[in-house]
Amino acid sequence: MITIVIILFVLFAMLKVMPIEGYFSNFDKLSQAAIDRGLRELGVRDPLYVQVGRFVKNLFQGDLGISHRYMENKPIKDIIAPKVMVSLRFGVISMLVSLPLGMILGVIMALNKGGIFDKLGNAYIVVIQAVPNAIYFLLIQVYGAQLLHCSMLWREGQAITMILPILSLALPSISSYGMWLRRYMVDETNKDYIKLARAKGVPNATIWFRHVFRNSVVPMVQLIPGSLLMTISGSIYVESLYSIPGMGGLLVDVIKRQDNSMVHALTLIFAVLGILGLLLGDIAMTLVDPRISFSKKGGSR
Amino acid sequence: MEREVILSVKDLNVKFSLRGKVLHAIRGISLDLYKGESLAIVGESGSGKSVFCKNFIGLLDKNGWVDSGTIEYKDMDLAKFKKDKEWSKIRGKEIAMVMQDPMTSLNPLKTIGWQIEEAFRLHQDLKGEAAKNKAIEILADVGIPDPARRYGQYPHEFSGGMRQRVVIAIAMACNPRILICDEPTTALDVTIQAQILNLIKDLKDKYDLTTIYITHDLGVVANVADRIAVMYAGDIVEIGTCDEVFYNPKHPYTWALLSSLPQLGVKGEDLYAIKGTPPNLFHPIRGDAFAARNPQALKIDFEHRPPYFEVSPTHKARTWLLDPRAPKVDPPAIIQNIRNIKRGGVENG
Repeated sequence: MITIVIILFVLFAMLKVMPIEGYFSNFDKLSQAAIDRGLRELGVRDPLYVQVGRFVKNLFQGDLGISHRYMENKPIKDIIAPKVMVSLRFGVISMLVSLPLGMILGVIMALNKGGIFDKLGNAYIVVIQAVPNAIYFLLIQVYGAQLLHCSMLWREGQAITMILPILSLALPSISSYGMWLRRYMVDETNKDYIKLARAKGVPNATIWFRHVFRNSVVPMVQLIPGSLLMTISGSIYVESLYSIPGMGGLLVDVIKRQDNSMVHALTLIFAVLGILGLLLGDIAMTLVDPRISFSKKGGSR
Repeated sequence: MEREVILSVKDLNVKFSLRGKVLHAIRGISLDLYKGESLAIVGESGSGKSVFCKNFIGLLDKNGWVDSGTIEYKDMDLAKFKKDKEWSKIRGKEIAMVMQDPMTSLNPLKTIGWQIEEAFRLHQDLKGEAAKNKAIEILADVGIPDPARRYGQYPHEFSGGMRQRVVIAIAMACNPRILICDEPTTALDVTIQAQILNLIKDLKDKYDLTTIYITHDLGVVANVADRIAVMYAGDIVEIGTCDEVFYNPKHPYTWALLSSLPQLGVKGEDLYAIKGTPPNLFHPIRGDAFAARNPQALKIDFEHRPPYFEVSPTHKARTWLLDPRAPKVDPPAIIQNIRNIKRGGVENG
């Protein structure tokens, strides 16, 4: 809560120093009086606490404000809502694809550590992480569309046109999930309790599944809610490539156009999502890791 | 008195491949382990004591292998075992191991009870309520108070000493014949060490176990061992009963080891330390491995590897000093006092 208030104050303070020319489309032709009136209407002349207070007050009435320049005089809620749904749809599907695939990749690499599959997986990860994704996104779009005999752009209602953007979104996630899981699993295998389990006579397959995999997933669980929520913000590049009307790039766009009320609303949403993601991640951790708990229990040491 | 041999190692050679080079970690060890005895293997870090024992349950690191030699146990040659499946008959069930660091040797995400029961499920086909009762019984056995409540707790809710008890409970859960304790007290508080040693001793008597202690702490050894094997550079240089090795040591390395006991130190004087470093096992060793660090080394020590000379039927040492032609070299004066110390200070060392 405090975090959000601080973010709001910083945000409003920064927007106060924006050049005033940006607030008007016909600045040069306006009289000084008209400019003053316009700025007062926008509220940017008011002291910081008044601006923040007003914003928060409206917020509690479920009002995110009204866009001034992005789409004139349209409630921000109505602008964002459909965009969120689009981005969320792509994000969630790509996550549903990439999470299991990434995990499978990680497991295969860890099991085959030092072997050919590990090396291939590593090559994939390095390529995906190191090559600017603009390059392979374009390749996917151009050759993928040929291969699938479908449009290069996304069309509502044509499921086949979703494949390429989702593939583009999933590739980097698969590589990072794979990389982390492999790393965590290799870490776990070197731990003493795995040796003890071996000494106890637990068969290898059981050790891998019950001890190594289970324990390696724990640190990943924390990241999942966060990355799921952040898919709402969309991907600038993928969405513009396939002309998907999502959230990607919206924030940059409205900052450039100095649509302050849109900036406020979006920043608030992203901040809340970020915090919520962390919180949900922590809650998820307590479910899978008995060592972590929110309530303070009396230890028996 | 002929005692029953439970495990017999013959001329065991173990090698590791490390960064393209071959390291000769165990250089031809032969050893008979008697049923019901308690053997201590002592030596400094890197002398191969852990590696040697890991061979008994097939837990050598992946880059290591048995080059030659046999490990006989119940008409099986463990040195020939390759697959997990073969080892599953031995691990836990016949030979169990207690690791050094109890803080990390339990799975942090599973309850203590689950981890003990895992052993039951594997080796005794015991499930459900019966397994639970047995687990609680074992927890009580290793001296954990309120075992029924502790059964459902996680490792982080236990202290170091208690965790080591749990680790021992897990080892005991499989009802093994041989228990290997790899530095079981090194990571523990001094006050807890004696408790854990006594616990192992009690369990040994109760379940008729054969125990192997791997340690570099001669204080531990004095307390628990029937026999002592002194290892240096992948070889047993001296082996004998506890009294023989403590009171009548023959190998210069054993002398040096005993001289460095802190309990023998005189106030105001520096503790004795063995000069130099152990030999590099990447290269073949010529002569006696300890010769380079041995102030009393003979010329022949640098040329030929000494054979075992028998001091008594139970006591032998690999040193040319025992050859009839060798000059008489007395053990350092400082270790003559050891008799007084062993009764007193070392007891709980």
